[in-house]
Amino acid sequence: MNTLINFPISLIVLCSGFILILLGLWGMLTQRHLIRIIIGFSLMDTGIHMVMVSIGYVTGGTAPIINNAVPMSEATNLVVDPVPSALVLTAIVIGLGVTAVMLSFAVRIYKTHKTLMIDKLTESKW
Amino acid sequence: MVATTDTIDIFLQPLGIYILALGVGFLIPLVYRVNRNSAILVFFTALLIMIVIAGLNLLAIINGASVMDIETAGIKPPFSINLRFGLFEGACVLAVNTVALLGAWHYLPRLKQHAAALLLYLILVMGINGMVMTRDLFNLFIFIEITSIATYALIGMERTAKGLAAGFKYIMATSIASAFYLLGTIFIYYQTGTLNIDDIIANQQLIIGPIGFIATLFILTGLLIELKPYPANGWGLDVYETAPGGIASLISVGVSAGVFFALYKVLPIMDLYLTSIAFIGGFTFLISNFIGLKQENTKRLLGYSSIGQMGLLTLVIALLVQLDASAHIPLIIGGLFINHLFAKAGLFWLAAIVDRKNIKDWSSIAKHPSLLILLCILLTALVGLPPFPGFWAKWELVMLLASEQLFGWITLILIGSLLEAVYLFRWFSYARNVESSESVEKPAEVSVSFLQQIPIFITGLLLFAIAYVMSRFMNVDNQLIYFPLMAGFAIWLIDRLNVRVKSLIMLLAVSIGGYFLTKDLEGINKLFSYLLIGGGILVSFATLYRHDDRKGFYPLLSVLLLSLATLLRAQTSLEFFFAWELMALSSYLLVMLGRNKQNCDPGIRLGNDQKNDQKYNQINAIKPALIYLLFSLASAYFILVGFAVSYSATGNYFLFSLGDSGTSTTLAFSLLAIGFIIKIGGFGLHIWLPEVYAEADDDFTAILSSVVSKAGIFGLIIIAAHLGVRADIGLNPAYVLGWIGILTATFGALMAVFQEDIKRLVAYSSMGQLGYIVTGVALMSHLGWVSAMYMTVNHFLFKGILFLSVAGVILRTNERFMYKMGGLIKNMPVTFTFTMIAIIAMSGVPPLSGYGGKWMFFNALMDKGWYWIAALAFFSSAVAFLYMFRLLQTVFLGQRKLEHRKLREAPVILLIPQGILIAIIFVISAYPKILIDVISTAIDPWISNTLVWKGTAMQAHYGYWDAPLIMAIIAGAWIAPLILLLLFAKTMKVQKVEQFNIVYAAERPRRPEETHFAYNFYAHYDRAIGFVVRPRATAFWNAVIEWTHSFAASLRIFYNGNGQTYALFIIMYFVGLFLVNGGLAL
Repeated sequence: MNTLINFPISLIVLCSGFILILLGLWGMLTQRHLIRIIIGFSLMDTGIHMVMVSIGYVTGGTAPIINNAVPMSEATNLVVDPVPSALVLTAIVIGLGVTAVMLSFAVRIYKTHKTLMIDKLTESKW
Repeated sequence: MVATTDTIDIFLQPLGIYILALGVGFLIPLVYRVNRNSAILVFFTALLIMIVIAGLNLLAIINGASVMDIETAGIKPPFSINLRFGLFEGACVLAVNTVALLGAWHYLPRLKQHAAALLLYLILVMGINGMVMTRDLFNLFIFIEITSIATYALIGMERTAKGLAAGFKYIMATSIASAFYLLGTIFIYYQTGTLNIDDIIANQQLIIGPIGFIATLFILTGLLIELKPYPANGWGLDVYETAPGGIASLISVGVSAGVFFALYKVLPIMDLYLTSIAFIGGFTFLISNFIGLKQENTKRLLGYSSIGQMGLLTLVIALLVQLDASAHIPLIIGGLFINHLFAKAGLFWLAAIVDRKNIKDWSSIAKHPSLLILLCILLTALVGLPPFPGFWAKWELVMLLASEQLFGWITLILIGSLLEAVYLFRWFSYARNVESSESVEKPAEVSVSFLQQIPIFITGLLLFAIAYVMSRFMNVDNQLIYFPLMAGFAIWLIDRLNVRVKSLIMLLAVSIGGYFLTKDLEGINKLFSYLLIGGGILVSFATLYRHDDRKGFYPLLSVLLLSLATLLRAQTSLEFFFAWELMALSSYLLVMLGRNKQNCDPGIRLGNDQKNDQKYNQINAIKPALIYLLFSLASAYFILVGFAVSYSATGNYFLFSLGDSGTSTTLAFSLLAIGFIIKIGGFGLHIWLPEVYAEADDDFTAILSSVVSKAGIFGLIIIAAHLGVRADIGLNPAYVLGWIGILTATFGALMAVFQEDIKRLVAYSSMGQLGYIVTGVALMSHLGWVSAMYMTVNHFLFKGILFLSVAGVILRTNERFMYKMGGLIKNMPVTFTFTMIAIIAMSGVPPLSGYGGKWMFFNALMDKGWYWIAALAFFSSAVAFLYMFRLLQTVFLGQRKLEHRKLREAPVILLIPQGILIAIIFVISAYPKILIDVISTAIDPWISNTLVWKGTAMQAHYGYWDAPLIMAIIAGAWIAPLILLLLFAKTMKVQKVEQFNIVYAAERPRRPEETHFAYNFYAHYDRAIGFVVRPRATAFWNAVIEWTHSFAASLRIFYNGNGQTYALFIIMYFVGLFLVNGGLAL
């Protein structure tokens, strides 16, 4: 029980974030289906977000609101760093945007090519 | 009232750009529903105000305002995001916004179909502005993403199959790159606790250990990948190829500009990687340009060029930071950047409106002068020729690198530039080529409205204007260097006039301009001014013999002749180089105007295998012109590096301080000499010469050979004077130069002997005769130089006559093969007489001027002890007799062809300049002292006079030369037999030889012309020594071309078109950078 508590949760998030990034990259590189590639991208993106969140986490920290419970002078030790959380919100929005554009490309590619296999999309080369 | 101005002031702050883009941008779809045109108006107003904001703020900064830091959210950085608007940011933003406005104009027909497209375009431009201005690492990521998403959407708007596929690859690649960037950013934050770039730089000691290493590496890889380094750039190429010109141009110059600026901002924390960055940039530049050689798709070609140029910028910024030479950033980076920005954008738009996929189909615009001129201006700018910004930037760059002794990088940059020039100007060649259009995909003619050309035209104007400003910044005070261009422009304005009128105006203008440019000159320069300007005008007078319109000929000719004048005036190496490149460019374009199509006899030219002969029917001056340009550029680059070597030793550009180059003297001299030798057509580097001389217009060949080739001689003498004599470089380079000269003479003569084509014969002869001059200069003695300059004058005289009389013969017979002529003495007695006199003057037999030159030359050789060279000189002079005899015998003597019975004498306009030249030959022959005294005085400051005169006779070790006496004796020796002959001719028996009664014994004629005596005139010599002159140099250069192209083909195997392969390369790039920079050691 004790060991589990001592093991910081942020480390777990960080590690699983990296695993997700690698999985996503692996997916983007090996899956030939466009939708799977997009899923790969999404996984990678989520992984990055998890890494970002984990970096701002302070073990046992509270919400970054300065009040009586959290005096200004000790804020840095008591609260979770709010910046990464703010960043991750933006990053999620952007990731969503990119995913949406990728999906719309996939739709149009299917309309023009009648396939979603990336190795069929090699008209321009050299 | 006050409040209003305040609001305006606030609005015109740089932040206004974002407010405008977001505010107005999202208003556009609304307005669009109401009225499409007002939406377009709002759109353009927004873009225009973005330019105004950037422009006004930049102006304020130039006028001394301090760098503007724009804070947001009411909190000071580093806790809030701040933007910075300084000199670099302002210039970059202004340039990008200007291109964006022009691009929107170009692309409007498509943009206006969707309100969203207008919105996305604004957002895209704003994103680039943000990338440039923001000082926050994460904010930078957001702007990169905003730009990327807008780009994706705009690419996706064209619903072509190829475009969508390319777009998807683009998204995959850039999203991986930004993922890297984001990861890097978050780790930097983890270590430094801030996202503010200035704060990060100030606290960069906190970026340590494996995390710091990985963090910076992630950021670097993310940004570098966006700049499309080789080989992880296939996705970028695919988008350039398939995206519409309006979008491709914005990606190529706008988005890349933003990313490049971002890279520049984070470079202070990239100290560890500077070398890697430089190598990545350098190799991307070199290899992109290599692969560009194999490319025929217009837009993909531009893509290779774009990637190359961004590579060059990356290389240069890394080097500048590494060398701590940030003072050079405005001129070098700014110049290269602006140059690429406008030239490339203009080319993408041009490619879009002409709409020919393959560069071979660009002949569609061959009859479209305004498009051709635009193409030419933009290509010239992109290659970095004067007067464009790239020229100045390249000069500064090479000088800086040379002063840091980084010659490896100089070599790489110049090779890359040369390769880029090859494929870019090859494209121009196709565009100029009226005859060939290989595919039938599109109709031969293009229809482009005037309005469509305006944005491109404006980029051209901007390039000129910025170049001028740059030259002011570089303290080029001598405005006269622009005189040739302005004169050429003025003549171009009257190009629609009657050909007689405009040619006379041009001759007058050049005479006056040339006079004022050269009247203050002294010494050697003065002497050459008579030759180049006076002689140039005299020979140019002969161009009046043509009656056709000759569009473009006279403007370019005035640029050429006046740039020769500014070349003579040049005080600094920069002015010299400017004039030199201007001369190369204008003569290239003039050669390209050549249109000889009568030379259609396949199968008998030396130096061409059977396969090429089939194509010979279609050859015109375009291919030789390209080769000419490339050799000219190569020559210019050697000269550039030569000057740079000298600059690194002396620290200034003055030509007179070339001699202070100290230990670098030998290197500088060798490089400069190679440059000039290429231009002269020296042995081994001569292959451009016969082709160009043969295929250029007949009258322009006369100018090229008699006048323009002397510019190379002038350069050689100048460097010999400054570097050779004063600094005393010792014997070796000069001795090598002597050998090159004499080998040129020997092989030129031998090649000339076996030519069937009259112009090629005279061309090889011209090359050979210049060889003696080179050796004369190499002698580095007073007599040697006098002989060299004397032979230079003589070469001008006889080559002027020969090429002009050849022009007359070709005009009348419409043939270039000598065996198709014969007996023309009866039709063209004056031309015959002039040719004969010129040949005697050339051959070096008494009494005409050539004798004096050879006499002094041999004396100088013997004085110096160069016996072997003297022997070869003697041999090649003897060989020269063979081709001269052939010229006279086969063209003017022998039987006349039936169809030539009614030919007339050459036009008087061709004969007048020849007559004047003949008169000068006689004066010089009789009284050489007049000329030699002038030459001797000019040389005296360099090598003191050693000539001894006794009356009219010149004394030397091995005898004396009394020209008037010789003249008198020869006249006597000729006139006496002549009188006798005239008296007794009637009593002698004269038998006329029939045309076909000379057939070589035991030879089987395969074609009718082989039975003609003039065909393969020197078959017996050919069998004996012909193997010497088989075109080895041509074969060698062909092999070089072949090899380069197949090498290029092997370099592009990475671009297999598969998006996943491209993604893999991106990841491998990261791994590679990780390993190279010692990632495993951490």
